[in-house]
Amino acid sequence: MNDQQRRGLVIGLAIAIVLIAVLWLMDQEQSIVIGIVSGSAYGLVALGLVLIYKSSGVFNFAQGEFGGVAICTLYLLHSSGVPYGLSVLGALLAGMLFGFLTERIVIRPLFEAPRVIVLVATAGVALLAIALQQWLFDNQGRPIARAFPQRDRITIFGVQVSDQRLWLIGTLAVLAVVLGLFFTRTNLGLAIIGASQEPTATELVGISVRRLSTFTWVLAALLGALAAVIAVPETGQFTPGVMTAGYLIPAFTAAVLGGMTSLPGAFVGGLLVGIIYAVASSAEIFQDIPGTPSTLVVFLVLLGVLIVRPQGLLGKPA
Amino acid sequence: MAVVTTPDTPPETATAPPTKQPFRPSALGWVGRGLLWAAVAALVLVLPLSRPGSDVREYTTGACFAVVALSLNVLLGYVGQISLGHAAFVGIGAFTSAYLVTVQGQSFWVGVLAATAIGGAQALVLGGVSLRIRGLYFALVTLSYGLVAEQNIFQIQEFTGGGAGQRALKPDWFESEWRYYYLCLAFLAVVLYVDWRMMRSKSGRALLALRENPRVASTFGINVRLAMLFAFVVSGAMAGLAGALLAHGDESVSASYWSFSLSLFFVTMTVVGGLRSRAGLVIGGAFFALLPYLIHKIPGLEDLLAKVDDPVKLTPEYATLIIAPLLLLLNVIRFPGGIGQQIRPVQRWMTGHRFDRHDHGPKEVQITDVRA
Repeated sequence: MNDQQRRGLVIGLAIAIVLIAVLWLMDQEQSIVIGIVSGSAYGLVALGLVLIYKSSGVFNFAQGEFGGVAICTLYLLHSSGVPYGLSVLGALLAGMLFGFLTERIVIRPLFEAPRVIVLVATAGVALLAIALQQWLFDNQGRPIARAFPQRDRITIFGVQVSDQRLWLIGTLAVLAVVLGLFFTRTNLGLAIIGASQEPTATELVGISVRRLSTFTWVLAALLGALAAVIAVPETGQFTPGVMTAGYLIPAFTAAVLGGMTSLPGAFVGGLLVGIIYAVASSAEIFQDIPGTPSTLVVFLVLLGVLIVRPQGLLGKPA
Repeated sequence: MAVVTTPDTPPETATAPPTKQPFRPSALGWVGRGLLWAAVAALVLVLPLSRPGSDVREYTTGACFAVVALSLNVLLGYVGQISLGHAAFVGIGAFTSAYLVTVQGQSFWVGVLAATAIGGAQALVLGGVSLRIRGLYFALVTLSYGLVAEQNIFQIQEFTGGGAGQRALKPDWFESEWRYYYLCLAFLAVVLYVDWRMMRSKSGRALLALRENPRVASTFGINVRLAMLFAFVVSGAMAGLAGALLAHGDESVSASYWSFSLSLFFVTMTVVGGLRSRAGLVIGGAFFALLPYLIHKIPGLEDLLAKVDDPVKLTPEYATLIIAPLLLLLNVIRFPGGIGQQIRPVQRWMTGHRFDRHDHGPKEVQITDVRA
């Protein structure tokens, strides 16, 4: 990590602390918790985006729908009587399978194609997944059960937190540690990082970059599926295409904010975007914006990052 | 591309051994070509006259979608960038024209002009920001902008008329569906002409050069950013124009139509139509605009689709939504040239060349060392 990246990290943390303080002063402590939970979901989707961007050099517009497929499976399994835990497992597997098929059927034949064509292909995959969901559910929202039933509230530092959210934050913390260990301690994780940074050198030490491409896509799909399984049941219902409309764009903003090539940057960016979202939906100065204020705010953040610091917080300078 | 060389000194060539003559169709060949041209003209120009007004409205939409396809082609086909928020550009064009005509009482022509200008201006701003960094960031920025348009701009009651939508009457003298259809065809012809002339000009060739390799293009003295901005503006302006035409074609615009899926649908019809092939793009745009209508019209097909009614009936609308991305993926993976590439032999034949079944146009050069 060089000086500039360190400075970026400090800037990011400073913004986060200021925003949290703003929420605290507005008596919106609940929003902090909501922001962190949804921010982690954006961070997970953004991690998948960055992984694929680094390995295939393409913005993966199907990343949201990896989660879409997962949440769809979760709903279908759970509503047909499968226990929740098994449904979640099935959902994650379905998401990974979708990622695998996408890589094998769509991405692999386009290994040599111009990047913009690969981008179109991923958008096509997303459109197909959304269309199938719209047809399956007649374009209606469906209620979906929460992962952790709410029992009582716990007060920490004067903030009332429902135990269900505490469980979620706990799960996310464990997940972050596991992912960190995976990328720094296991052979597969190190190989994926290596292939995304230096494909030629990785081939030279005897690792097949092509085979890793499949792993990368499956892993990215798992991250998208995790995000969906964590964040969507929280909202109580799911609508077809919600992962693309509601999560993909904040996640892209998060990835750009983090520098598009940095894995920790993507997760930090996700948390930041989540908190910004929470501020935007609760602060009164934004209430005059017609429609959904947070969408506009996230768009302005994206523009702002591109104008002020195109290389992002933790990215390498262009 | 056939190179026709004109001899510099005509008298000598008379005695020289006969050089290979350029292909000339026989008289019968000309008749055949003429008949096919007449058939195309009949399909586009005469057939609508015999159809009821509600059908003609569908054809009008087809002409407008063809303009949208041409607009996206400027990005995807010429400079190798992509907009994933084209529904926003087209939609804002539609509402601009509808607002100016209905609320402000301006004429249709002012509305169309304003929609075109605003389309170009939006693309200029978004393009300027996304070109701050190398890569396909225009895709990201426009995707996000598309959602802003959907959730913020189109929620402004005064601008969009709320849930009921904004009325947009047809201009004087063009009130009938038929006349308006021909007006849209005329606009389509103008866009085709502009596109053709643009690509024959120096700046058009600059666009093609930078798509294949921006670095090499810049060493030839092409200002890559400026050229890309130019393409963004042209594309945005065409999209705005298409929006205005669509608005007045349907006589009302409602906010819910311009969704994220529509943007992806626009990309689909452009790619399936065939990048850099004007005929293919027009066919692609018209085909996808008319797809639900065609499913409706072909006898038995709708009933066949409706047999799939578990869990929900497969209506023509859902069928279109599902067919479109499948076609897109098939296209990208197996037939990258789209409809344009497939019809190229016929197209060449119609313009007086020999019929060559294997002529699918120049192959796309793959440049792997520069990532876009």
